[in-house]
Amino acid sequence: MSEKESLIKNQGETSTRCVRFQRDGDDCFCFLQGKWSLESDEVRFAHSEWKRFLSANPTAVSFRFSSVELSDWDSALIVFLTQCRYDLEGLKKNFDTSVLPRGIIKLLNLSLVKKATKQRNEFNLNRGIDYLESEIVRFRDRFWGVAAFLGEWISGVASLFVGKSSMRIRDLFAVCRSCGASALPIVTLISFLTGLTMAFVGSVQLEKFNAKIYVADLVCLAMVREMGALMVAIVMAGRTGAAFAAELGSMKINEEIDSLRTFGISPMQFLVLPRTIGLFLMIPLLTLYADMVGILGGLTVGTQVMGFSMLHYFEQTQTALGGMWEVYSGLVKSLVFGLIVGLVGCYKGLASGKDSASLGRSVTSAVVTSITLIVVADALFEIIFSYLDLR
Amino acid sequence: MADETEKNPVLRVENLKLSYGDYEVLNGVSFEVRDGSCLVIMGGSGCGKSTLLKALVGLIEPAEGEVYFDSRNLWASSMEDREEILRGFGVLFQGGALWSSMTLLENVSLPLETYTDLSEPEVARVAEYKLGLVGLSGYEEFYPSQLSGGMKKRAGLARAMALDPKVLFFDEPSAGLDPLSSRRLDDLINELKESLGMTFVVVSHELASIFEIADDSIFLDAKSKTLLHQGSPASLLETSEHDHVRSFLSRGSSA
Repeated sequence: MSEKESLIKNQGETSTRCVRFQRDGDDCFCFLQGKWSLESDEVRFAHSEWKRFLSANPTAVSFRFSSVELSDWDSALIVFLTQCRYDLEGLKKNFDTSVLPRGIIKLLNLSLVKKATKQRNEFNLNRGIDYLESEIVRFRDRFWGVAAFLGEWISGVASLFVGKSSMRIRDLFAVCRSCGASALPIVTLISFLTGLTMAFVGSVQLEKFNAKIYVADLVCLAMVREMGALMVAIVMAGRTGAAFAAELGSMKINEEIDSLRTFGISPMQFLVLPRTIGLFLMIPLLTLYADMVGILGGLTVGTQVMGFSMLHYFEQTQTALGGMWEVYSGLVKSLVFGLIVGLVGCYKGLASGKDSASLGRSVTSAVVTSITLIVVADALFEIIFSYLDLR
Repeated sequence: MADETEKNPVLRVENLKLSYGDYEVLNGVSFEVRDGSCLVIMGGSGCGKSTLLKALVGLIEPAEGEVYFDSRNLWASSMEDREEILRGFGVLFQGGALWSSMTLLENVSLPLETYTDLSEPEVARVAEYKLGLVGLSGYEEFYPSQLSGGMKKRAGLARAMALDPKVLFFDEPSAGLDPLSSRRLDDLINELKESLGMTFVVVSHELASIFEIADDSIFLDAKSKTLLHQGSPASLLETSEHDHVRSFLSRGSSA
């Protein structure tokens, strides 16, 4: 230790393994020493020691940094010095690094970036109005976006009827296969279990009134009027609607949509039409299938648990159905549900941003929006049917 | 050079202004592309090169200004006319942008099926020929995911050439390619230009590639948000009064 250093020791010295601070009159000396590593706990102590030393010496004017037996160092040292510089600049004190090794000075200068000042979240009327305005503009843009999409879809369907569409029949068949036949296993499972569950729940209640056989009515009417179409639509929203959104969204990220447009091929006709029409055609078939499988679920409980004969159960089901309107009403609903799932899935895919986070949001939004609209549409159907005395 | 200047402009851009909402990307951009030449759009990252390209190929509508293709105004035309103009263009996007659910043959065949009356075997023959032209014979039944980056770009080029376009647009053809693949693509551009007389508009900031393929170039500046200079890269390097342009073309050594 030099003579000068021993002299100033009395005026306040503090040290860690990495750094030693000393004061001499208006000047302070910071000796960087030992090993500076991001993985070392000592570096953390150096930061707290620096803060303590700085607050203990408010009258010091200049801080000089030098290295003494500095064995090894990495970014930890530069981060420390950057922090020191930032603190000293804030206090308008001199930050002197002139005697530090050139490598450290160079890196320190490279890290000389203007700190971004974050806007504070204070209440400001103008900012509030700006925010409101931007939200209104965003809502308006979204509304026009949906309107333009629907308009383009309708004109696409019209062009299909006049034979001017660029939709390929083989794409339509591929969609029919993937959202029709390929969906059979999951639709079978879900609708069978729905019928089964309804029969179990219904049987407990009906038993109280000694009317167990009406479980066939309950299962049959609930399936064909409501649950068949609803369950299929929800399964398709999660399965096919999400797939549409993901497929079109990733095509947008990869500029595949743009490349279609540059060939003058309309993505609406080439991509959206086969998907929406395919689902529109397949979903009533799946619903009809789900109705039958659901009734089979009820039949299983009726015959295996409740002890009815198969013939008895079927006769009761037939009586309950009355006419085919009960089945048709479910199928009409399913057509609308199919359109909702297809259009929402495709719209969300095409409206997705060009990054993966936005694609994830679009897929989630496609499923949530589809299911919400399905439930809303279902309620509207029931209100309309009841007003028209169709129930 | 004298011959080239006599050629008619196949593409003319007048006072183009491009913006994303309120954010202005470029303003006051005017230039011409001569028939059978290769024009390179260059400039630093974020200067609006790709945005300009998208406006030229009908993907982004300009806020102001006109784009003329063979004296036909692209953005003032009806939707049907614009689609017809676009059929005269071929575009190769940065990553190839091949349609991932189709094989290479189907990728190249789709524009042919859409716009020609060729029979299925004839379409396949033309598509095979185009793939052969870019060195991808034998890869007809491969899907894009089975190809390397360079092969995807070449397949994208084959698809862009499917309808024998008058103008081919490339968005950063060398990006992400090794030096040899990049060189092969440059050679291919030169060959196509000479043998088929195609016109090329290429967005690039790869100097080696720029000097290899460009007959003419424009330099876009991110700071002033406009076209700084037009001329062949060699003449810009020698004579441009803008330090920034010379510095860019000499990789900073003349700065």
